[in-house]
Amino acid sequence: MKKLLCLLDDVVTMLTKTSAVIVTFNRAAKLMKVLDALQCQTRRPEIILVVDNASTDETRELVVARAKEDLSIRYLRLPKNVGGAGGFHAGLKAAYDLGADYFWISDDDAYPEPDAIEKLLQAITSFQADHEWRPSFACSRVEWVDGSLCEMNTPRTVWDWPRFVRPGKAWALVDSASFVSILVPRWAVAAHGLPIADYFIWFDDAEYTRRLSRSYPGIFVPESRVIHDTPDNRGVNFGLVDEKSLWKFRYGARNEASWRRREGGLVNVISYAYGAHRQMKGGNVPGKLRREIYRAILRGMAFHPKIVRI
Amino acid sequence: MNHLQQSTPLVQKSTDYISREVTEAISIYKCLYPGCELRFIFRIDEATISATATVSEGRAPLHVDLLGAGYLGQVNIPGPHDASPAVTISISIPRPPLPSERRQTDTPWQPQRPLRFIFRMAPMLYEQIRYLAEMARWRRADKSHRTSSLPFGGSALFSKPRAPATGKRPAILVGMHWLEVGGAEKLGLDTIRWAREAGLRVFVVASVPELQRLKGQLPDSPDVTFLRLDRYLPHHLWPRYVEELVRAENIRLIHIHHCRPLYDALPHIRTATPWVKVIDSTHIVEYADGGYPRISGVWSNFIDMHHVISGQLEDYYRDKFLVVGKVRLGRMLDRREDAGALSGFRLQAGQKSLHISFIGRLYYQKRPIIVVETFRRLSRWAADNNVELSGSLVGEGPFLPAVQRLIQRYGLQDKVALLPADTDVPALLERSDLMLLPSNNEGLALVCYEAIGRGCIPLSTDVGSQYEVVPADLLVPLSPYDTVRETLGIVDRLWRDPAFLARQKQELTAAFSKLGRDMTAKEILMPIYEETALSAG
Repeated sequence: MKKLLCLLDDVVTMLTKTSAVIVTFNRAAKLMKVLDALQCQTRRPEIILVVDNASTDETRELVVARAKEDLSIRYLRLPKNVGGAGGFHAGLKAAYDLGADYFWISDDDAYPEPDAIEKLLQAITSFQADHEWRPSFACSRVEWVDGSLCEMNTPRTVWDWPRFVRPGKAWALVDSASFVSILVPRWAVAAHGLPIADYFIWFDDAEYTRRLSRSYPGIFVPESRVIHDTPDNRGVNFGLVDEKSLWKFRYGARNEASWRRREGGLVNVISYAYGAHRQMKGGNVPGKLRREIYRAILRGMAFHPKIVRI
Repeated sequence: MNHLQQSTPLVQKSTDYISREVTEAISIYKCLYPGCELRFIFRIDEATISATATVSEGRAPLHVDLLGAGYLGQVNIPGPHDASPAVTISISIPRPPLPSERRQTDTPWQPQRPLRFIFRMAPMLYEQIRYLAEMARWRRADKSHRTSSLPFGGSALFSKPRAPATGKRPAILVGMHWLEVGGAEKLGLDTIRWAREAGLRVFVVASVPELQRLKGQLPDSPDVTFLRLDRYLPHHLWPRYVEELVRAENIRLIHIHHCRPLYDALPHIRTATPWVKVIDSTHIVEYADGGYPRISGVWSNFIDMHHVISGQLEDYYRDKFLVVGKVRLGRMLDRREDAGALSGFRLQAGQKSLHISFIGRLYYQKRPIIVVETFRRLSRWAADNNVELSGSLVGEGPFLPAVQRLIQRYGLQDKVALLPADTDVPALLERSDLMLLPSNNEGLALVCYEAIGRGCIPLSTDVGSQYEVVPADLLVPLSPYDTVRETLGIVDRLWRDPAFLARQKQELTAAFSKLGRDMTAKEILMPIYEETALSAG
């Protein structure tokens, strides 16, 4: 019996079939660089699922051509653009159906270093072996193209984040991370369901990782590195709202307000609205744009998207 | 005949027939239960041409139902040792088919009883209702059937079984739906020939217990064996049987052609005999439930390669099951026969006589009622435009009596000839200006390709992968009324508008050349067969 139990312990770490889930929209060239980076991984995912948000550039042709040569590539073309949130929802669902044990979720403009996935897998399995707790996700250090920390992909730590930090295993506990090089185990998806597709864009990753963290926080794995090729290195701050970025901030405000209403009630939303007000005031955001953000927060209070379970 | 020597003499039935069937059944169960004592109870069923088999593991007592008028007797095959477990197999051998059954078992088609009066009054209205019902079923289909691949996990923790050394030449198991007339069956028979050419021994099984009328087309060779699992082995026992067969006969490759129980056996095959490669071929996406391409997609993680015959199927696997890399397009064309076959199109604008053909089995899929209705409308059009119209309908099937009645009712007997299925189709196409194919569904109808090669212009419904062979302007909608109206419109335009006709000829030529450049099924499959033939014995 003891031998059998040892065997079962081994099974826990041996079931590491991994599926990469990349959501893309009209960024064929960058997507090809991501696929190149995955090709060079020291621990290649068994499945690479490209979720195409109905791109109108040459994404389809390029991915299909590559998939004809590389059997690990699967291609899911969505009938319309359902945003990053809808893409990650559909992709994670499909990858789950394909039977992977871990899901490496990322954007179409984030290039993992050759050992990024191996380090994530190593960390999440070692953490469990060492401490018995099961991290609900593991996330990489996301760097901008110049090597500095990518502001928008900074994970949020929990209050006792250094509890298991050791020399050589500096894995801080975090409860929120972005969908840029994050590894989610199958059990966490089974327990907590899928990202909320109705969010369309922004805050889908924060809501999802916070939901996963109800079981146990995730871990930040700094030795796993990924380069996020964004046009600039800006954080998400309401002081940065302008005409061009307003549409995204509106989604973000609505989604976070909805989440705060669900998790913390009205007081939490008011506190959030006050924070947004302070940031916009500090950033001299024009009144017209501010009113759009307030309206989005109000909409979020009545927005109750459904969480889809597996 | 040893087992039958003590049997009661059988009136009207040849001993050879019974003997052959008994031998078939015994060999199947000897393979399935190599270490068991086998106790067979044989019956003959005079009422049916379908067999039944029930299996009880153990020494099951005989029930009185088995000992009635059809009871033939028992055969006991001892096990390898005294303590061998026993298996009781009760088999009902079907009577030999009558000559009429050998020819055709489909009863003549009749409209659904409550709607018969509609068909009598307005055949097209009946077709429209049937079409609408089918489309409604199609819209519901995805909700009631799985449309994602089943996962196939696994780890390196446990060692996998290894192929035993048999000393036999490598073999292939080819699973068919049945050995009856059909496109998938044609490819199935071709692949059996190719596998043999590649040096493989071939075992053939079918899932549906039909008369297997094409059995005679199997190569007459000791390397080709048709196993009558369809008659004598219940589907739930196929996985274990296939495992035993794989081990005993050094089967290295399984090729599935629309064979449901082989798909169902895949979990067992892939885990018990992981050295065996599995490929499949699919042809047509069915409206009701996706048909075999859907089943194949569901099992995709257990299959090494999907061979498809059309671009539509490539898209189907990609869009429904996210599979791209292991889907291989191989057209059902013979490069030697088809190379350079394109001759000039006969149809000229304003010509005074027109010959239009229809070639296809007379089943609902080909919509023969719509063909006759189209001829009726074309006949009026021809009279209005002073064109001498003639037509040929080639094919047999359950719709033949209904088609004959309609032709008489519409007074088309002098204009439309009904020809048997063995008509010389190439010769007919060479004297036809146009060909109609208003099918309900198609994969990629090769008769269109053949028609173009013979200078005949095909008009088809826009279904399946027909867009690959027929230009967009010559495709008509599926809805029955629209099919007839648009077909008439296209014929009129081709006849009236020389520029339109010239453009269609150009596009048909381009489509013909493009298809000819694609890989053929043989070019896709033969290297796999040859590689398998070189694998270890």
